Amino acid sequence: MKLYFVDYSIIALYFLFVIGIGFLLKKKIKTGNDFLMSNRSIPLWITSLAFISANLGAQEVLGMAASGAKYGLYTAHFYWLGAAFAMVFLGIYMMPFYYGSRARSVPEYLKLRFDEKTRTFNALSFAVMTIFSSGISLYALAMLMQTILGWDFNVSIWLAAGIVLIYTYLGGLTSAVYNEVMQFFLIVLGIAPLVIIGMHKAGGLDGILHNVENSKLHLWKGMAHASTNPMGVDAFSLVFGLGFVLAFGYWCTDFLVVQRAMISRSQNEARRTPIIAAIPKIFMPLVVILPGIIILALQNQFTGFELPLNSSGQVDYNMTLPLLLSKLYPSGILGVGVTALIASFMSGMAGNVTAFNTVWTFDIYQAHIKKNGSEKHYLNVGRATTVIGILLSVATAYVARNFNSIMDLLQLVFSFVNAPLFATFFLGMFWKKTSSNGAFWGLISGTAAAAITHGLTTAEGKGGWIANLHEYYSGTSQAFNIAGIAFIACFLVTALVSSFTSRKPDEELRGLVYSLTPKQTDPAKRWYKNPLWLGVAVLILTLIINVVLY
Amino acid sequence: MNKLFDLRFVIGSFFFLVGLILFVYSFSEKGRNAVNHYGGLAFLLFGVVMILLTYKSSGKEE
Repeated sequence: MKLYFVDYSIIALYFLFVIGIGFLLKKKIKTGNDFLMSNRSIPLWITSLAFISANLGAQEVLGMAASGAKYGLYTAHFYWLGAAFAMVFLGIYMMPFYYGSRARSVPEYLKLRFDEKTRTFNALSFAVMTIFSSGISLYALAMLMQTILGWDFNVSIWLAAGIVLIYTYLGGLTSAVYNEVMQFFLIVLGIAPLVIIGMHKAGGLDGILHNVENSKLHLWKGMAHASTNPMGVDAFSLVFGLGFVLAFGYWCTDFLVVQRAMISRSQNEARRTPIIAAIPKIFMPLVVILPGIIILALQNQFTGFELPLNSSGQVDYNMTLPLLLSKLYPSGILGVGVTALIASFMSGMAGNVTAFNTVWTFDIYQAHIKKNGSEKHYLNVGRATTVIGILLSVATAYVARNFNSIMDLLQLVFSFVNAPLFATFFLGMFWKKTSSNGAFWGLISGTAAAAITHGLTTAEGKGGWIANLHEYYSGTSQAFNIAGIAFIACFLVTALVSSFTSRKPDEELRGLVYSLTPKQTDPAKRWYKNPLWLGVAVLILTLIINVVLY
Repeated sequence: MNKLFDLRFVIGSFFFLVGLILFVYSFSEKGRNAVNHYGGLAFLLFGVVMILLTYKSSGKEE
């Protein structure tokens, strides 16, 4: 892929604008609350777009196109089964507790609901995970730029890290959120023409239907058994493992995305943020998954669309989007496409760094190191944490380059920690008898159950480090089942330990637990301002899509 | 925190400039292509709409 002056001009213009946003916001940031929480002043349309954009990182943009080529339309389950339902649930049922409790972060909610040790466990694992994700995003960006454009690895790392550092250091969370919104439009508008050109070249819908194997053009057909669909997953694992545990665990408890709703101007807007975000999210497969299906149709009709092999000799599906960009985009619009890819990496990195800032400053520094500092002090700590977070991300990117297997292992360990988390929140919010000890030991047991299940099962040559008792059809199926088992273990242990240990008194749980919180009657007269009716509309739309594309 | 600047104006300006670059480039020998031409026009239009929305909103506030 060769870029010309015009392409570089567009990339430079983008860099100029994202840094400019940081400078424009600098004067408005006066306190730690402004820097780390945007002072709960962000309008609804911005929080909604930032909510999905925080998730629109490199893994999403490149990874979903890759999955589209590998698994076909089944990949859309991550949106039409996973995301949509979880986002509506977050808006209707969980956001009133997050926002209403005035907690500044998800770990802080855990402190209010349970105790300091549960908060610290969650905050520490989250802080390490965000730095890890941010570093991986940076590493992936540098590798991609090196592979497709021949850019130097070190230059890519330091340039991207430097730009993210400037705009997050100057404008804090608000700057990251504003840039995420701009990145959202850039990613969608930068890749949408690729889909239109690709569809046209592939012969439109007819061309897709005739040139892509039928088994990759359905959502639910062949889901009765894992061996009868390209994803290698059965319907139960899909619905329980992905649709319930993983999706609800991510969208409802991951502070990286929940934070975007928590900075809304009012509780009504905080509740509508994930629900409104679910509307563009439902249509995102058209931009991120469809390119993967288009390349399958093009491979059948033209030469030059074959995906390269990776170092292990297997098809490198991650090259789906870069290959389409290089084959279908002329110079000019190619600059927009490459900028969209860079934006997705930077968006992922900035989102992680700002979430890390908040959790480090409020849940670790303020909770354990300096409790009663001034607002100015926490602003300085937030800024220093930004620099440290970026430097740690850069270090992680270099570790990933030299010790890839260690990174795989770390990623696996973090998935074990994340899998049971939703059970803790679910019980904590909807069962007032859940005790602090129950939550803590439930989390530990769920994490252990996930690790043990991985050690006793294999898929695609991975796992089985204790014994091989069962082999899954695919790594995806193994991941869904591990999540399901971790959830059940956490749920049961939390319930069991809570039955024998003392819980917080009712008066300390008001506003934190469903049965002890007054039900809100939303005064909004118009249905689209009422989170419940808005959520119902989103779910009906999602169900229709599932039925039509059965 | 005081009222922040309007993000729509920033986004609109960015896409207006990108659209302008693509549209002008589409008349050059190297860049002559329908994708640059119509893509540029679409970006220009999107940029203008976002900028107009900014003014419409500030007019309401006044």
